[in-house]
Amino acid sequence: MTKGEIAQTKEAYVGEYASGKSEVAINRALWLFETGIRPVILVDLDLVEPFYTLRPLKKELEARGIKVLAWETLNTIGLGETGNLLQPVVRWALRREGAVVIDVGYGVAGIEKLRLLERPAFERESLKIYVVINIARPMTGDVEAVVDYVRALGAVHGLINNSHWGDDTEPAIIHEGAQVVTKAAKILGLPVIWTTVDQKWQKEIGSYDVCGNPVFFLKRYMPRAFW
Amino acid sequence: MSMPAVELEAKTQRKQAKPIEGVKKVFMTGNESVAWAALAAGAEIMYGYPITPQNEIMHYWTRLAPRYGKQFLQTEDEISAGFTTCGGVLAGKRAFTATAGPGNILMQESMSMAEMLRLPTVVIVQQRGGPSTATVIYSQQETTLTCFGGNGEGLRIVYSSSSHQDLFDYTIKAFNTAWKYRFPTFVLGDGYQAKMRESLHIYDPAAKGIKMEKTVPFVGQEGMPGVDRAPAHLRNTFNTEEELLEVITGYVAEYQKIAPEIIEYEVIETADAEIVLVAHGIVARAAWAAVRALRNKGVRAGFFRPITLRPFPAEQLRKAARTAKKLLVAESAQGQLLKLVQEALYGETVPIATYLMPGQGITAEELSDYVMELRSNKTNREGGSR
Repeated sequence: MTKGEIAQTKEAYVGEYASGKSEVAINRALWLFETGIRPVILVDLDLVEPFYTLRPLKKELEARGIKVLAWETLNTIGLGETGNLLQPVVRWALRREGAVVIDVGYGVAGIEKLRLLERPAFERESLKIYVVINIARPMTGDVEAVVDYVRALGAVHGLINNSHWGDDTEPAIIHEGAQVVTKAAKILGLPVIWTTVDQKWQKEIGSYDVCGNPVFFLKRYMPRAFW
Repeated sequence: MSMPAVELEAKTQRKQAKPIEGVKKVFMTGNESVAWAALAAGAEIMYGYPITPQNEIMHYWTRLAPRYGKQFLQTEDEISAGFTTCGGVLAGKRAFTATAGPGNILMQESMSMAEMLRLPTVVIVQQRGGPSTATVIYSQQETTLTCFGGNGEGLRIVYSSSSHQDLFDYTIKAFNTAWKYRFPTFVLGDGYQAKMRESLHIYDPAAKGIKMEKTVPFVGQEGMPGVDRAPAHLRNTFNTEEELLEVITGYVAEYQKIAPEIIEYEVIETADAEIVLVAHGIVARAAWAAVRALRNKGVRAGFFRPITLRPFPAEQLRKAARTAKKLLVAESAQGQLLKLVQEALYGETVPIATYLMPGQGITAEELSDYVMELRSNKTNREGGSR
């Protein structure tokens, strides 16, 4: 990608509930910002539980320069299961100039919500949809399950191996994840975009995973989020 | 479109396979952990009506159930979800439901019937804020409701979970306790545990030597009642006070007799403790972390966690309280665990300090700071309360 193309990045992160979509999306947005791209827009597209994911981090991320499109409590009526409105500004997010990173929350219904967004004209459409996979989640626990899961999503552009056991992570699960996701990607004819890894494993894992996919290191923000 | 034979065979094989082979380390939410535990326990049907924060128990059950030939019925409300769970059990199915807050209130009528008919129903409760709709997030305000919510004597068994591993272990155990003793059994979690993500080991009960209790139909059994078998005479209504008294007295006696087999608790470092922190559920995790931090500072703190809230480990708590100079009861409610503690300790003289935060989470740091505050305030003879 040329620098100009990166500046117009449009990416959506989808995946199984609790697969790590928000963490990957936040880190990607911050990385784009650090490369000098302006503006970088992070979009919370969680219609089921829009108040508990990025919201608590909104101020912190905005203080660092990221534009965050997410509901604020004071602007809403009802919380939790009643708060299923698409924020009007989110509807037009893909038509904005700059880098747009969409966290497509709540994986069970997940990807269908992308249809609610206004898309740019066909020739300008550049949205890439990446599927975040943690093989420690039994729903995407082996090659067959990952393939079934990704096929059910429809057209996507790549897979991300985000396999971990939370605070109890060991390199073994990261390696196994790389192997499972790489095999599944081959069957699906998709690239593995990254293996994403908590930055505390930088030494052990290195720049490429056991299958040769690039590693993108994550700083953990989500432990401070609500759910 | 017909399914190719090979694919059909693959699907059928998957349906017959065990949901979990052996033991597997996984990373998931508490709600998922419950759905997998119910599958592993051989639950055959879930009846349910959606309510936050338990929704993903249903979501995952409905995604998983068809793969393993299990069933799901979404009912029109929680009144129906409770009664259909009773119906499933009457038909001999290992049946369960899950709910929270206002839904838990609506299930009290059916669970009272389960007490009266001695039906081994299993209910998972992920507590949210109360009263009424309150918050969809978290509390420990359904302690009294879950233990004593019916119009009867609270003849139920209530396990309070502290972690995803607990949710998995005690959901499996709840089915066995219910079917062994025939009292309605509850697993009491909360919205934090429901949505939080952490690692745990999921397993096939057989891999851990756990044998699932056999299920039997309560109605429609083979043979002539009174000749080939005892009649299935299930009653939740009686003609006279004396008749009811006799039945309830029998149930209460049976409940008291089995209570020692069911009671579970955790007690750590209370022998030399100047203060014992008493907490259940997820707050017990904060309390335990506070005790470790206090011990590191040289404060002799101890820990008591009732795992069964009903029956309550009263004797065990009395024993721990007798050597302590003070108790500190911490909970995300305005004194619901406290009532159970006070009842258990009636007649004891140990002062009870409280840390009561209805509907709000409690951290280890808050508790250890509060203990330090209590220690410095020597004039506070009643024990202190917040």
